[in-house]
Order: sequence, then C-alpha cells, then structure tokens
Amino acid sequence: MSQVDELPVKRVSRVARPELDRRQALSFLAAGVASGLAACSRPDEQIIPYVRMPDRLVPGEPLKFATTLALSGYGRGVLVSSVDGRPIKVEGNPKHPASLGATDVFMEAAVLSLYDPDRSRTTLHEGAIAPAEAFRAAVLGQNRLLKQRSGEGLRLVTGRVSSPTLLRQIDDLLGQFPKAAWHAYDPADDGSARAGAMLAYGRDIETVPHLARARVVIALGADPLGHGPDQLRSARGFAERRQPQNEGFSRFYCLEAAPTLTGAKADHRLALRPAIIGEVALAIAKSLGAAVRDAAVPDHLKELVRKISADLNSSPGSAIVLAGRTLSAEAHAVVHWINARLNAPVDLIDPVGRTPAGRQPQALDELVRDLKGGGVDQLVTLGVNPVYDAPADLNFSDASRKAPFRLHAGCYADETAELSNWHVPLSHPLEAWSDLRSIDGTASLVQPLIRPLYRSHTEHEYIALLTNGDMASPRDLVRRTWQAQAGADFETWWTRALHDGVIAGSAADPLRPAEPKLPQMPEPRAASEFQVVLQPDPSIWDGSFANNAWLQECPKPLTKQVWGNALALNPEDARQLGVSVGEVISIRSGGATIEAPVLVEPSAALGVGCLTLGYGRHRAGAIGNGIGCDATRLRTTKNPWTIAEAVITRTGRNQEPLTTQNIVRASDYVSELYPVRKVAVAARTLSAPEAERPPSLLPEAPPRSGDGNAWAMVIDTSVCIGCNACVVACQAENNVPVVGPEEVARGRDMHWLRVDAYDHGTATNPALGFQPVPCMHCEHAPCEPVCPVAASVHDSEGLNAQVYNRCIGTRFCEANCPYKVRRFNFRGYADGQEYANLGFESYLAQKNPEVTVRARGVMEKCTYCVQRISSARRAAERDDRTIGTDEVRTACQNACPTGAIVFGDLNQDGSSVNGRKSDPRHYALLGHLDTRPRTTYLADVRNPPTGGDGK
Amino acid sequence: MQIFRPGADTIAKVLLASCGAAPILLVGLAYGIMSSPYATGQDVTRNQPIPFSHQHHVGGLGLDCRYCHTSVEKARFAGLPPTETCMTCHSQLWTNAGMLAPVRASLAKDEPIAWQRVNKLPDYVYFDHSIHVAKGVGCTSCHGAVDQMPLMRQAAPLTMQWCIDCHRAPEKALRPREAVFDTGWSPAKNQEQLGRELMAKYHIRVDHLTDCSVCHR
Repeated sequence: MSQVDELPVKRVSRVARPELDRRQALSFLAAGVASGLAACSRPDEQIIPYVRMPDRLVPGEPLKFATTLALSGYGRGVLVSSVDGRPIKVEGNPKHPASLGATDVFMEAAVLSLYDPDRSRTTLHEGAIAPAEAFRAAVLGQNRLLKQRSGEGLRLVTGRVSSPTLLRQIDDLLGQFPKAAWHAYDPADDGSARAGAMLAYGRDIETVPHLARARVVIALGADPLGHGPDQLRSARGFAERRQPQNEGFSRFYCLEAAPTLTGAKADHRLALRPAIIGEVALAIAKSLGAAVRDAAVPDHLKELVRKISADLNSSPGSAIVLAGRTLSAEAHAVVHWINARLNAPVDLIDPVGRTPAGRQPQALDELVRDLKGGGVDQLVTLGVNPVYDAPADLNFSDASRKAPFRLHAGCYADETAELSNWHVPLSHPLEAWSDLRSIDGTASLVQPLIRPLYRSHTEHEYIALLTNGDMASPRDLVRRTWQAQAGADFETWWTRALHDGVIAGSAADPLRPAEPKLPQMPEPRAASEFQVVLQPDPSIWDGSFANNAWLQECPKPLTKQVWGNALALNPEDARQLGVSVGEVISIRSGGATIEAPVLVEPSAALGVGCLTLGYGRHRAGAIGNGIGCDATRLRTTKNPWTIAEAVITRTGRNQEPLTTQNIVRASDYVSELYPVRKVAVAARTLSAPEAERPPSLLPEAPPRSGDGNAWAMVIDTSVCIGCNACVVACQAENNVPVVGPEEVARGRDMHWLRVDAYDHGTATNPALGFQPVPCMHCEHAPCEPVCPVAASVHDSEGLNAQVYNRCIGTRFCEANCPYKVRRFNFRGYADGQEYANLGFESYLAQKNPEVTVRARGVMEKCTYCVQRISSARRAAERDDRTIGTDEVRTACQNACPTGAIVFGDLNQDGSSVNGRKSDPRHYALLGHLDTRPRTTYLADVRNPPTGGDGK
Repeated sequence: MQIFRPGADTIAKVLLASCGAAPILLVGLAYGIMSSPYATGQDVTRNQPIPFSHQHHVGGLGLDCRYCHTSVEKARFAGLPPTETCMTCHSQLWTNAGMLAPVRASLAKDEPIAWQRVNKLPDYVYFDHSIHVAKGVGCTSCHGAVDQMPLMRQAAPLTMQWCIDCHRAPEKALRPREAVFDTGWSPAKNQEQLGRELMAKYHIRVDHLTDCSVCHR
C-alpha cells in the first residue's frame, strides 16, 4: 500500500552572503527602490497575429464541432468547443441518441487528458526513444516474415471495436494474413450477459432497454443509472418517468450486492448476496409460469418476490427486468425469458463489433494459451493495457514475454508498453479521424479538433501499416468506409454527417428472435464465506483514466472518496471482522493478496465487500501512479466480478481513505435538508405554511436591472442520479483547479459544485438521495456584508459576484456562508503551486479564456456561469433582441443527463425555471435563515410498493 | 544646562506636523504616480517592428478601421491584421521599400510580425469590443485621433475611473452606429440630449453597466 505523497520540498542552495559596508548597502537600497519604481510602469507585451489567417476563425470566439468519444469502445456523440484551435470543453450532442445532449464524467474529462504531459509522445524501442523510421523498418521486416507464413504467429489484441472503419481494416488484415488471429477484451465487460444470450437465444445478442417506456423496472444486480456507455440514455429514460404530475410514474426495484446509483434512486432496494439475487430471478420466472426448479429464496424475501411478480403482471408491455454483472449466465438467460414473457420494452439487436465479413474477436484466454504454447511471434496490442487489466489468473505479463516481437500502441507508455519491444504513441480521440458505434448501433464520425500534439498516429494508421506496410490517411479510410452507404452525393452526405455528429438511420434494427430457452440453473452453493464484489470505478472506470486529475479528485457518488479506492464493508461485517474505517486490511483470494483501506458503508450487503477497479497502477503517469490498490489481481477469467471466498485479515496499519465527507445520515438533519415525498402526495404543496420573514437590515428585494433579468436555478433532486457530470463540467468550464490528496485531506477541495448525499432511509435499509449544491446566490447573501473590501457584491441581475482582484483573502465570506459553497485558494493551485505536474505548459491550453484563472489568496465560487450569461446578453444586444427563453444554459445544466438542473430568468414568462418554482415540491435549502436563495430545489419523490408503507 | 539646541523645538514641531501630513502626501504621491502616464501608459508612443503609420493609412488614404481590425464587430478582440492583409496592397505598391522589408520577410518565412501592444487593460478586466461598437461607442472615443498618429500611442488613461465615468453617463460619448468608424466625428453641442436619445434607441441601461461582474469575472 503506498502512502499518500509527501509534500514536495524544494532544496535551495545556500546563497553566499557578501560582505557589505554602509556605502554599498545604501547604494543597493537605492537601486532596489529604483527598480521597484520601474516595476510600477506597465510591462511591455507583444501581440502576435497570424501570417495567413485561417478562414472562419475569429480570435477568442469558440467554434463547436461534433465528434464522438468512446467508453469501453461504445461511442457517445459530443459537441466540443474549440477556441483559437484548441478544444477546451466537451458538451453532449443533442442529436446523438447515446448522449442526448448530456455528458458523463469521462466525456468531460477527455479534454484534460488531451493536454496531459504524461502522454506518450515518441516511439520507444526497449524503453528508449527511437526514430520512427526504425519502427517502420522493424514492422516492414515483420511484415515480410508474416507474408511468407500467411500471418501465422500474428496476434492482434484490441479493446471492444465498434468502429466500422477499424472493423473493415481488421478484415483486410485477416484477409491478408489468414493464419493470424484477432482478440478483443474489455475489462468492464459483462461476460455472463453474452453467455446468457447464447444460452437463451443460441446467438450473441445485445440488450438495449428502454427505460422511458417502462413503468416497473426490476434491476437484479444491474446498474442502468450507473456509469457506463449507456448511462446517459438510461438516465434520460429514467427521468422521463419520474414526473409525479404525469401518469405512469415508474417504480424501481433494485436488488444488488454492491451499492450503486440505481440502488440509491430505487423505490425499493435490498442488498443481497449475488447468488441470492440469481435465485430471486428464478423465483420471478417461476411465478410467471416458467418450468424451472424451485428457487432457494430465503423466507423473508418471498413476500418481496410476490410483490414484484404482482407488479410485473400489472404492467403488461411496460415492465422490464435487468440483469447485471454479478449474475451467472444462466440467470441472464432466465431474465431474457422473463422479458420475452412480459413483452418488455427492450430491443434485442446484433451486437456491434462484428466485421463486415462476419468475423468476431476471440477471447483473451485463448491468446494466453497460444502465447504459453509458443505459437505467437508477433503480439500487437492496440489501445489496450492487458498487462494491467487482464484477469490476474491469465498472468498476461509473463505470457506476453514469450512472443519475440511485442508492439504496443497506446496513449500512455503504460504497464504493457513497459513489457513491449516497441511502443508507439496513439493519437487522443480529440486528435483523430475515426468512426464509432454506440450500444444501440448508431454510428457517428470522429473528427479531430486539433492536429496531433505529438508524433502519434491513430489505430487506423497502425493497422494499415501492419497490413500493407504503408500508413494510409485515416480520413481517407473513414471516407472509403462510408462511400458505399452514402449513395450518389457523397460530399453532401459527408458534410452533413460531420455537422450533425450522427449518421442518420444507422441504429441497429431490433431482431425478432425465437422464444428464449430456459436453462437449468445449477443449485446454489450454501455460501457463507465472505465475498468481494468488484465494480468499474465511477471516477476512473477500468483504470484508463487513472492519470486524469479531474477524475481522481472527483468524489465517488456513494462514498465521496477521492484519490484512491477502499473496501466498502457493511457495519455488521466490520464489527465481526474487528475493523474500522481507515484500517488497512489484506484481501486474499485464490493465491492473490491485495491490501486496501476499509470504508464502512451501510448500503453494502452482509457478507459482501465492494471494491472498485482501476487503481494501483505504477505506470499511469505522475497523477495516477501509486494511488489505491489494484483489484485486478483478484480477478479470474471465470469470476471477474464476484470474488468468492475472500479472506480478510487485519494488517495493523492505517490509511484513512480521503473523502470529501458530505454524506449526512442524522435523520433530523436529513428531513430538514432533504425532504422526500411519496408520489401519492407529491402533487400537494408542503404542508407547513411559509414562515414569517424575520426582520433584516438588508433591502427587501435586490436591485432590479433595467434589462430585467433575474437569474435563478432549480435542481430536481428526484431525478439527480449523483453521476457527478455537473461537478466535472463546472471544473472544465470555470478553470477550477485540482488540489491533490494532501490538500483534500485538509478539507480544501475546490469543486465549485458539490453533490451532497443524504441517507433518508433507516439504519438497516439505507436510501441515498443526491443534492447538488452550487452557490445559492442568495438575495440576502450573508457573504456580502462581511467582506471588508467589497469583493463579494450583488449584481443587478441577482447574481452574487466575486471580484477576484479586490479579494484580499480574509475568508470571512466563507465563514459566514451557511451553505459552505465558497472555496479559497490556500495555495496557488492554478498559479505556481499546482499539484504534481498540473502546472505543465500544455495544461494552459485547456483553460477557458472567458474565465479568470485565480491566483493564491483569492476566494472563488460558482458564478451561475456569468461568462455564459454575459455571452448570451452580448450576442442578443448585438442583434438588438432580448435573450431568448431558456437560451442561457449553465455548464452543469448542459452536462446533466436527467435534466435535474434548470437555470433561467425568473422575469421571463414561460421560462422553465419559473415552471419549477411553482412546483408543489419546491423548497429552499435552509430557507428559515432568510437568505432567500435563488438556487432552490424540488423534493425527492419515491414510489413505495403497493400494500406497504414503503420500506 | 541645556540638553536641546535652540532649533530643537522647531524640529519637533515639523516632525509632528509631518506625521500627520506624510501619510496624506504619500497617498497623494502614490495616486499621482499610478494615474500618471508612467503607470497608465497614456500618450506613450511605443516602438514597433515596422513603423506603421495610421496617419498615412487612415487619415491619408481613408482606410476603414475594419479593413484590418476585422473582428471588432463580432468578438471581444478587435484583431490585428495578419501579414496577408498588409500584402493585399503592398504586393503591388511600394513592393521594394526598405521600410516594408520586415513585412515581406514575414510572409516569405511564415513568421508573424511581433507588434508591441499599445492599448492594454489589466488581465483581471474583461473587455468586449463588439458590444461597445454595437451600442454606438466610436473607435476614436477611446483610441483618440488615430488618423493623426504617425505612430500608435494610447490616447486614453484606460483606468477604471475613466471607464466608469462613461459607464455611468454614456450619453456623453455615444454616437449613431453609422458614425462609429468615422474618425472625424466629434460630439455635437447638444451631445447629452442626443446621447440620451441614442441610449433609448439602442436599449442602453446604466444600472447593469456599473455591476462589478460586467468586467471583473
């Protein structure tokens, strides 16, 4: 277990003290004064225009381009803002079905990793910089050998490939070298889902659920609202069914082993061991008439199964059951049968990832078998890091050494590059030409926002080099792929596809397979040993984002942990094991041992510990090295997600997991700060009448502006899923610095927008709700009267403005703010004292030029994206019109997949924010303080199962 | 016996008086220095790599400001012309002039010309040209009589006080939109009344113009 990094200590060489007499001292003094005076005059600055100005480029004005970013190989459409040729902000593409105008944390953070100085920049041969020509010569040499043997001994390893161009190229490669093989794997893959589809339908089938059409959803270990390639679409569908004023308010049941976002938002949630969840699936199937054995469901769950079945039966055509990673293949097949029986709103489609010739990749364990048998001569790993994230039982690092020629192409010189002869840099997705498909098959183009910063190439170019010995232009390759599709006028089609960011009509058609077969589920073992359930990490996914500082500092939604992972234990388990929060324990399973700190998490199931992937890397870069523990060492090919028979022992060491500590569990605080309504009464206003306003020395109403804009924001906590997209979006838009683990330990995290979690359940049945807290922009702001230099002032449009150049760092405003939304730059986090290598020059390119980069000693906070308001106002005034209804959208509002955040003008009739302010669920946080916040909330709504008072 | 010399009284009185006067004088001195051209750069003519004469091009030839400063109506930066703009004329006029050798060299070597900045606001000030131009603030109102400057200098102090004076009472400096780029414009006798009419016509409200967040964000 690595310790938290120590503060870097600068060693300064001793300065030789000169011997001074009075005369010399006085003359030095005079010189000092004179130079000080000279410093008062304005320094010289240069302006450097172009020699030839590019067309359409207006200096300082952003241009937006549509492209696609991938997660686990599936594409999500984005619109990227580019200023002066530099991409600075990623937003969702409203036309793309996989993003629907929203983003998740990974898409937002992609723009930071583009400028990462730890990115691989040049060709490496045996770890040393080598010329590209040497690499080319080596590849050509291998090419010649391969041609003689029809490609025998060549193995290509990729991640999930959904790019039609890359699939076509792989066909060409395998056509050229018939005896070669292609393997693909994804660390976050749900292997049992594919196996389950094979059992049920006899073929590989992808399930695309439509939550917007589902009134009853049973999530069995599944996490549709959790991070993943389909999160945005699922979250939007979920939100559409959670409006209490509309008919058909949905009901979510969630049975899970490890706490997830879906479990937090579910109306009814139970934490169970994975085997029992499988049995519940069987019980539901049996209650619907399946010819299966009796399910071994514990007695206390039988009532629940009955309720679920009744609910499913009462919603024909709009009930759906989802199966997750911890379920076995047979359980997945049973769930397929249930969905078919219920006529559930799922589309079954052919999975993306098959080449035009119908080839499919082989699994990783076959590759390792070939490697061990000595049958592999050329191992080409393209954009993946199997030495780190392949299941540990494969021992990929040792096996790969058997291949004499090992080529790795990646964005970072990572663990796999360490063991390869040749490492070549891969272009970042924002620098590359390509195409991608999302889970539902929709294809979209990937276009570069900037020329490759370093000497990198795309996967297309490397595959072309391997196939023909010649790097083709990736743009030409992509154009050729779509030439056939486009019909007569290709150029118009191409321009339209690039402009829209989505290729119309490319979603896969739903299949109509035969009735799914019901497999015989094996009897469950009476499992009583401790299990560990693994999940992809909500901040760094499978480890590929480990060097992204924004994501490392993004608090995990359910535990609020940053800069590391920890084993989450149920309090009862912790008591039995005799461990408490902050103790380091070792987890042993099947010969592998890892050490992790402990977090006590009431939502975890009894007997199940939860750990996330992606940490414990040693070649991620300056940000990601040595953070957290590597859970991959416990993974096996057969059980990648559920580690059975894990033995937990105390090590006697301590390492406090770093959390931003905003999970409120005390019930009186929760009921005051996070009201939850039952759906039946949600349409009624809160019963307590508006308390009389206490007397105040402040003016009754804030000064009104001539334009008459009154900006306000309403956040609907019932649909907030805690995904943190708003947090990272705000960080990207407003140049919010990363402070690093030591400063977070001191409580100095800088996120302008934080997501508080409230446990509104009971001790045995916790239920988390999420409440994003930006600045409230109070009309009676407590932070304004206490500033001695009037740096915190009230705008005529209702904003509380922070004037950075007036601030002298008294911090009285932060002390007086009851919501604690103000952040102080204790060190020059963005200005000379950056954490690790975040001060590197390339990161300056990501900064938003519209927002000041704050210096040390200055207070900052959410500004309601005043730069966007100003931009919209200026654009409107140039055109001699008023700002349109809902025209200004803050960064957090744009990022939110469920539309929880709504921002707008209170003085504008028909604005969405006005609609929400008159919602019966509306409340102000700490309203009794008479701060009169402009940021207000809508209470959470839960839908308890019928017949009970809702557990 | 006398410890103090006869003049000791006077010295004591002078010192006491200066204890009271010195802070005020020092503040006055600091204020004087900071608002002097030494600190603000007003009327300081800066050396440029090429002695471009606005007097000749704008005053003499009559080039419109926007021919070179192309983004002044669209963006916050007015923009400096790329070398290509200079060469639109100078590829045919004065093609061998020694004074223009750096321009030709810039185009030939594809290296931009590094101009010395004349009008500069501090980094903590956000200034947008396009909104000023759209609302009837003319170029010469802030940049002075550019058409009479052989070498560019900063005509206005560009202090916050100077900006706020206009933001509080824009009617003193407004002109019709058609006259914004007219270098010969000067305020009429009834400027205040005309200005108020323009404020109504162009929807300029003063209350928001003095919000801190307009420039400091």
